[in-house]
Amino acid sequence: MGERDPLRYFRIEAKELVDQISAGVLDLDQQPGADVVARLLRFAHTLKGAARVVKQPEIADRAHEFEEVLVPHRDEAVPALPADQMRELLRLNDEISAYVDSLSAPAAEPAPPSAPAAPEHVRTVPLNAPDTQAQVDQAHEDAELARGADAASDRPERAATADLDELLDAISEASARIAPLRDGNRTLGRLHRKVETLGERMRVGRTTVSDATARTSVRRLAGELGALGRRLTDAVDQVERELDEVRGRAEGLRLVPAGSIFTALRRAVRDAADAEGKRVRFQATGADVRMGPNLLNLISGAFLHVVRNAVVHGIEPEEQRVAAGKPAEGTVGVHVERRGRYAEFRCVDDGRGFDLAALRRTAEERGLLAPGVNPGPQGLIDLVLHGGISTAPGVTEVAGRGIGMDVARDVALQLGGEVTIANRPGQGATVRLVVPLTLLSMNGLIVESGGTTVTMPLDAVRRCVRLAADEMAAATASARLAHEREVLPFLPLAQALQAVPAEAEPRSGVAVVLAADRDTVAIGVDRLAGISTLVARPLPDLAPAAPVIASVSIDLDGNPRLVLDAHGLVAEARQESSTARGDTSASAKPRMPILVVDDSLTTRMLERSILESAGYEVDLAASGEEGLERARSREYGLYLSDIDMPGIDGFTFVARAKADPQLAHVPAILVSSRASAEDKRRGTEAGAAAYVIKGEFNQEELLAHIRRLIL
Amino acid sequence: MTAPSGSVSRRLRRLRDDFDHSFAEPARSHDEQHLELLTIRAGGRPYAIRLSQSSGVHPDRPVTPLPGPLPALLGLAGFAGAVVPVYDLAALLGHPVAEVPRWLVLAAGAPQLGLAFHELDGHVRATTDDLIRETGEDGSDGGHGRGGTLRGLVDLPGGSRPIIDIPATRALVHALTGHAQTTDEGDAP
Repeated sequence: MGERDPLRYFRIEAKELVDQISAGVLDLDQQPGADVVARLLRFAHTLKGAARVVKQPEIADRAHEFEEVLVPHRDEAVPALPADQMRELLRLNDEISAYVDSLSAPAAEPAPPSAPAAPEHVRTVPLNAPDTQAQVDQAHEDAELARGADAASDRPERAATADLDELLDAISEASARIAPLRDGNRTLGRLHRKVETLGERMRVGRTTVSDATARTSVRRLAGELGALGRRLTDAVDQVERELDEVRGRAEGLRLVPAGSIFTALRRAVRDAADAEGKRVRFQATGADVRMGPNLLNLISGAFLHVVRNAVVHGIEPEEQRVAAGKPAEGTVGVHVERRGRYAEFRCVDDGRGFDLAALRRTAEERGLLAPGVNPGPQGLIDLVLHGGISTAPGVTEVAGRGIGMDVARDVALQLGGEVTIANRPGQGATVRLVVPLTLLSMNGLIVESGGTTVTMPLDAVRRCVRLAADEMAAATASARLAHEREVLPFLPLAQALQAVPAEAEPRSGVAVVLAADRDTVAIGVDRLAGISTLVARPLPDLAPAAPVIASVSIDLDGNPRLVLDAHGLVAEARQESSTARGDTSASAKPRMPILVVDDSLTTRMLERSILESAGYEVDLAASGEEGLERARSREYGLYLSDIDMPGIDGFTFVARAKADPQLAHVPAILVSSRASAEDKRRGTEAGAAAYVIKGEFNQEELLAHIRRLIL
Repeated sequence: MTAPSGSVSRRLRRLRDDFDHSFAEPARSHDEQHLELLTIRAGGRPYAIRLSQSSGVHPDRPVTPLPGPLPALLGLAGFAGAVVPVYDLAALLGHPVAEVPRWLVLAAGAPQLGLAFHELDGHVRATTDDLIRETGEDGSDGGHGRGGTLRGLVDLPGGSRPIIDIPATRALVHALTGHAQTTDEGDAP
């Protein structure tokens, strides 16, 4: 059996060891410690032994060389490896990794002559020998990185054991819940016999049984049946919940933790820093966020460029950093976070930020920017994203910033997401990649409201407060709830779901306190129905939904169940609450909706949040074409359009709307970063009623224009 | 019995071969001129749907309501692990009623789309002669009805019924949702 593929188990073990060695080498580089050396020696030694057994001398020899480098440092309290030795370790690490990867190439390698080597000759070191790893795990960021390394070994060959254990636990739990059903069955049998006996007695000798006894028996039977019924309902409920949990966990196994890409990114940072002669520390958070492996692969590819760029262009040489009062060691961080139906990947560095003057020069040289035009800092940054400009004087071996940004933008485009850059001159830069998640494992709080069952993201739930009927009524009427000496906006969920109120009489319920976007609100529901792990998928095409809906999951019966969006709920509750308080003067009269046309997701969301908090209903379109299509499908009070968009631009959008007799009466505002008088004139010519410059974007000014035009 | 026995057996063999052969041949398309139709009622009005433009009919499928901007969107239904948006056909045709539709037809093509209607009258086979005003089949004309959703009438016992063109209905939904129309509409005959 083992003869058929002698490498079968070696592949799994070697891969795991290589992952641990890769993470260990990077640990050694950043926080040298005797325990790290010991750990690495152990891994290398195990790998060497195993490789010898399966006749893989290339791997064994390199593992041996690896050991040789480390052995002299074994007894140093704080091992100090010269840079060339460090590089040597990294090189060996790469070579071993390449050999191990080639072993698992799909082409079934010709089985080498069956290995006669007797395994008992080889001394193996148990992988999980206790060690002083506790010290390492103290630092939080290290734990995070370790999780990333663990996650990296979540190859399909050996799905994360912890996940499998949890799944098995959930299955046992579900089976355990079957027992009450079996008991119930026995009770039912007993009751059945009693009824039969009673019936028999009534048939044969009606007179022998006095009415009173018969009545008592029947009453007792009815009582027992009722109790049994309740027990069975409870048991079925529980089984159902447990099965739900099992399903969720099983689906979750298909997903990969974001941490699995951290080791590769960390290594890229290390290599780039080494090539540039800089000292850079890598930090990562969000290793546990799980998502589809394909998505993660694409993002990993793009982020390799992004982190390299951050090291090469962002982090300054040591002396400059010290002179600027910064720590000599630079920091590059990768942070992964789930935001509703999106995943956000952030690369943050504490370097010099983008060189705006250089950007401007390059842009002017390439004719992307007319000389003398000032697009503002953000405008220049946007050019980096759209124009393929690099601030580097020459493209270095490791990175040319323009290329990296192009890759990031392409990946975002491919995944339907967006890249943005926040520049803090002298302080660093943040590159943010936001992509919609296709499948996402999450913990949900199942709630019922107005006859429907929906799921709330549990990580946004702060607490649940039981409300009596009168408290519920008061909170609903005032759209506010006093909670822990704070007044929170209160929104009944049924209202957010546009459900038809079933009954007017107030009932007791639960207020779920939700936090998102640094804001806290309370959502009123009828009752809580448990917690479950679920896999949320995006809403299907052709199903536009209110912003309070994030995604959908499938329940046990195969029916869709809505998953709510914490950000959407918070925004909705805020708006409803302020409307109820009469903050908006026109709240009584329903106002016409506003159509926002802009190709940038960020701008769309920003404008939407401004308009919605001012009490307007907002629809979004991502292009001029889509804008026209929407404009024709609904009556709007106003169009708010960007100018520079792929496809038809904002001028054309306005001109075409004005040319359409059905749309001509709707006023339009152009919002753009273009500030020239010529552009304003073109806007007026196209028929725009107002022109707002993005650079000097002023919320109040915009709202003033809108109020003037729409009311 | 003048013929030699050899010729009888030859004739027999030929007859037998012909008989066998007739089974091997594909069914002759003698009903080329026929049209498979579902006769339905949406919002109280009679219509017909070409069976070839649908990929399934289901009764009493639970639909999870989805709050959103489109009143015609009833919600989401689950089909073998997929989540399918369900639209009220009566509302799409421009005469919404309060009653919740009981039946659901899946439109052929992608992305998945369910159209709900109130009653299923039956399944009929009509001849092309029963079709009146078959305009638009050559792509020249606009159909009638809202957004060209109706194309032609079919004459059936009990009166003539407008035929709902599923690809056109899909196009209407795409327009309502601002979803880019895919070009695979042509594969529905």
